[in-house]
Amino acid sequence: MLSEISRVALLGGILALDRTAGWNLMLGQPLVGACLAGALLNPGPQWELWALRIPLGVGVLLQLLLTDPSLPAGQRPRDFATAGVIGASVAILCLERLHPLLSVTTGGILWVLVGTFAGLLSSLVGGWMEITLRSRNRLSASRADELAKQGDLSGFESLYWRGVFRGFLRGATWSAVATVAGVGAAAIILPRLARFVTGPRAGLIFAVVLGVAFGAGFHAHVRAPRHGLRWAAIGAIATIVILLRFQAVAP
Amino acid sequence: MIEPTEAVVPVPPRALRPFDLAKVASRALYIQALFSAERQQGPGFAFALLPVIRRVYSGAEERGRALARHLGFFGTHPVLAGYVLGVTARLEERRSQGAPIDDAQIEQAKRALASPLAALGDPLFWVTLRPLSGLVGILGMALLSLADPLGPDLRVLVCPLLALLTYNAVALKFRLTGVARGYALADEPGKLLQSLKLAELKQFFERASAFAFGSLIVLTLWVLNGSADPAGQGLSYAASVLAPFVLGMTATALGLARWPGRNVEIALAAALVALVFSTRV
Repeated sequence: MLSEISRVALLGGILALDRTAGWNLMLGQPLVGACLAGALLNPGPQWELWALRIPLGVGVLLQLLLTDPSLPAGQRPRDFATAGVIGASVAILCLERLHPLLSVTTGGILWVLVGTFAGLLSSLVGGWMEITLRSRNRLSASRADELAKQGDLSGFESLYWRGVFRGFLRGATWSAVATVAGVGAAAIILPRLARFVTGPRAGLIFAVVLGVAFGAGFHAHVRAPRHGLRWAAIGAIATIVILLRFQAVAP
Repeated sequence: MIEPTEAVVPVPPRALRPFDLAKVASRALYIQALFSAERQQGPGFAFALLPVIRRVYSGAEERGRALARHLGFFGTHPVLAGYVLGVTARLEERRSQGAPIDDAQIEQAKRALASPLAALGDPLFWVTLRPLSGLVGILGMALLSLADPLGPDLRVLVCPLLALLTYNAVALKFRLTGVARGYALADEPGKLLQSLKLAELKQFFERASAFAFGSLIVLTLWVLNGSADPAGQGLSYAASVLAPFVLGMTATALGLARWPGRNVEIALAAALVALVFSTRV
């Protein structure tokens, strides 16, 4: 577990830097974070069928659910950079440890749901933690003023690099702590609810969450832009035409 | 007899080299590390400009004054900050060479560029391109069939790669060329802004985003419909299986119109309602 958590921490720290330092290379998006975490935490050949599909499912759901089409000033504080990593890591680690305890027939859907909820909750809490990081930054900025008065450029530079490292450390620590907490909570709760965890129930909740994700996607991609509905309809019609064409050609 | 004093040899002002501008561009990647509500990217802007300050000014006092000039409020889109950095580098260079440029002129030039770049960059990158890139990654999952249904699912690498390529194909171009272009067009900020064509790009990506989402909806419903009724029990059966998906989607689309930005809360509430509903039925 220790080696897995250190990998999660390293990945979470790097992806948090993408958001907090300003790289903004899209690495901190939930889809990317979840897939990278899935590739890093591959639990071995016995889980090969699901091991990579579960993080993909978690990433897709979180990507749709955490896409906010508002301008940054109007957005609620959400830490989506580590949400994908935490969600996928909780799902994979739970699959490996708890799957034998549950007699569920839905295969990976349950773990996709567990990972998605872990990611959603971590994005809420992580968002609040980001606010505290910014108040720490305010203190560093005041210190920077003093260093500028003294003409100490090297001092300012090292102060700034410490700020970068703080962003990494916060992402790494939060990813590790939230993953351990998520796996721990699932290990306590799920075996006790084993008789309630049935295939049809997991399927129903999955269908609802998928619908919610698409509703959020509709809000972001279709409602927000001008003429969004028109272009979505064109996209839908074009796809139907292509699918029908393929179906007609297929043997 | 007057003692001969040590002659002060003035250090000739040094011009910026392309290497200095490249260093500024690489440091601009960290522009938000000390982000705060009061100064936003101000400390990051000063940090990115340090190679310029070190190059064109000599003496701790002069360098300290230059650093202090840039520590105040500065806010623009991080991907486009390079253009402002380039313009400011040029102004600092000229000032060090003796041109009559005061603090207020530098500040004015920064603000004159930063505000329109933020106003055009935020909707382009945050509101349009970033969601579109995520969508392209998701579409990759829907479109790419499994090479080997029983083997490792390589879409776990392909989908994020598609998302990363879509976003960075656009963003990296601005990142890599921003400082040099800002430096070259420092005297023509209007021409610089127009040459970026940000509004046109935004319109294109908005349409592409809506188009891709329409496509994704059809692909998803196609797959769901196929798996909902494998035994061919009829339309009503398939509709009953698809109902939770459609209900969840409609309720969320309506809910977000009323409470924008509450995606997480709505998702958790919907899952709870589904759980309670499943125990009753």
